[in-house]
Amino acid sequence: MSRIVMRFTGVGGQGVLLAGEIFAAAKIKTGGYGVKTATYTSQVRGGPTVVDIQLDDKEIFYPYAIDGQINFMLSVADKSYQLFKGGVAEGGTIVIDPNLVYPSDEDRKKWNIVEIPIITIAKEEVGNVITQSVVALAIANEFTHAIDEDVLIETMLSKVPAKVHEANKKAYELGKKYAQEAME
Amino acid sequence: MSNTREVISSGNELAALAAVDAGCRFFGGYPITPSSEIMHTISDLLPKRGGVAIQMEDEIAGICSAIGASMSGVRALTATSGPGISLKAENLGLAQMAEVPLVVINVMRGGPSTGLPTRVSQGDVSQAKNPSHGDYKSITLCAGNITECYTETVRAFNLADRFMQPVIVLMDETIGHMHAKAAIPTQEEVEAGIVTRKTFDGPAEEYKPYGVAQDEPAVLNPMFQGYRYHFTGLHHDEMGFPTEEIETCRKLIDRLFRKVDEHVDELESNEEYMLEDADILLIGYGSASLAIKEAIHRLREEGIKAGLFRPITMWPSPEKRMYELGQKFDKVLSVELNQGQYLEEIQRAMGRKDIEKLTKTNGRPFSPQDIIDKVKEL
Repeated sequence: MSRIVMRFTGVGGQGVLLAGEIFAAAKIKTGGYGVKTATYTSQVRGGPTVVDIQLDDKEIFYPYAIDGQINFMLSVADKSYQLFKGGVAEGGTIVIDPNLVYPSDEDRKKWNIVEIPIITIAKEEVGNVITQSVVALAIANEFTHAIDEDVLIETMLSKVPAKVHEANKKAYELGKKYAQEAME
Repeated sequence: MSNTREVISSGNELAALAAVDAGCRFFGGYPITPSSEIMHTISDLLPKRGGVAIQMEDEIAGICSAIGASMSGVRALTATSGPGISLKAENLGLAQMAEVPLVVINVMRGGPSTGLPTRVSQGDVSQAKNPSHGDYKSITLCAGNITECYTETVRAFNLADRFMQPVIVLMDETIGHMHAKAAIPTQEEVEAGIVTRKTFDGPAEEYKPYGVAQDEPAVLNPMFQGYRYHFTGLHHDEMGFPTEEIETCRKLIDRLFRKVDEHVDELESNEEYMLEDADILLIGYGSASLAIKEAIHRLREEGIKAGLFRPITMWPSPEKRMYELGQKFDKVLSVELNQGQYLEEIQRAMGRKDIEKLTKTNGRPFSPQDIIDKVKEL
């Protein structure tokens, strides 16, 4: 497998870190290397947050995604989207929540921008906004095929409390469904 | 290390785990980005292993409580970032002077002052050498990856007890917060390697804590066990009582240096990476070395043979090895996230001024490309 480089962006408090942790852990479980590195600002909540995820069969030294080499980005906040979109390779996929992120026409020419209302899905269809990171996880994996789905779900369930297992399984299924529809 | 276990964790979490595995049973500190996760983690771990973690009212109280705990015979830790070291400086000097073993972790962020709280920097390397006023010999280790956040913290505890003084472990925001796989020694292996401080077990009336050989540290028995001594930051005699007697004062500072200088072989640790066949020598430490390693791989794909020398024990510096490398390599590039703090030490050790430098002080990490571009300019 060649290196998969993903970037999740949002604002502090949205829980974008968790999906990154799950990806890295799942990759490591399969015997590979996974690194998650977050960058945030001094603003406690509401500050732009970015999580870089690198997955590879070979050892990864440098922990940050290198601008221009990111294949996939997911964003649920406009200010983070604007700050960090530049790192995505031309033609790369950027999944955005259209209620929160507003790409320009130029952006749409440069990248494959996919609109999925991630927060709304979590809030209204799953019934728990916190599950948005799992909706995002499923979407990211559908687009990148980074990790065997069973391993990813198993890893995800090991990182969330047992009482919300069902909600998170549902969140995963919904994320997957919306991603597949978006690809059609 | 032969017996290892694989964990998925962050540098900060591993530093906390390492402390507890190395026998640390007291943490006193005050939360500060980007080191706070050390305190979070150890607050959870210590009570389960019979230890105590206290959030004190400020950074100064954090180190003072750790000094007190250490004087009772317990391995003690405090963790902070650069601004916290500035506040702790006076008491780092006290622990140097009174010879109290202690581990102090500094997860470096942008400075000076409150600087860039969430951003990476290596700006506290000079500070670590002399955080407090006065003459003494600092021991400073620097973790270059998350595995070393564990192994160097363990080593710091053993060195603190061996040399009876504070040992600083430098980490940085990148390494503290990066989350990945690490192969660390098993708890049993770490426990088997613990060498605790010497104690005096003769008759109490013969106990002279500071009456030791000129290249040896003080022997401080735990307080409250019948062995009395006086504790002070003033120049002191063999019982710890203040004195201005000329020869005693001279000998005290001489010993604080010689106890380290004459045993540097016990301290030295560094990594040489792809150096054997290299034409260009890069010197870097901490998280900068991660970008350097990536750059070395990519440079070699283009036929440029670069290699890395990475000091792990920063102070005392590996001056002998740096001198040898300075003789061997024509092109030397120092890479650090400050304006060249270690560069001065490299120049001194190598006895030459023509060392190229690559520095960055905007709170952002080096990218491998930064290094590749600079190497190609050489």
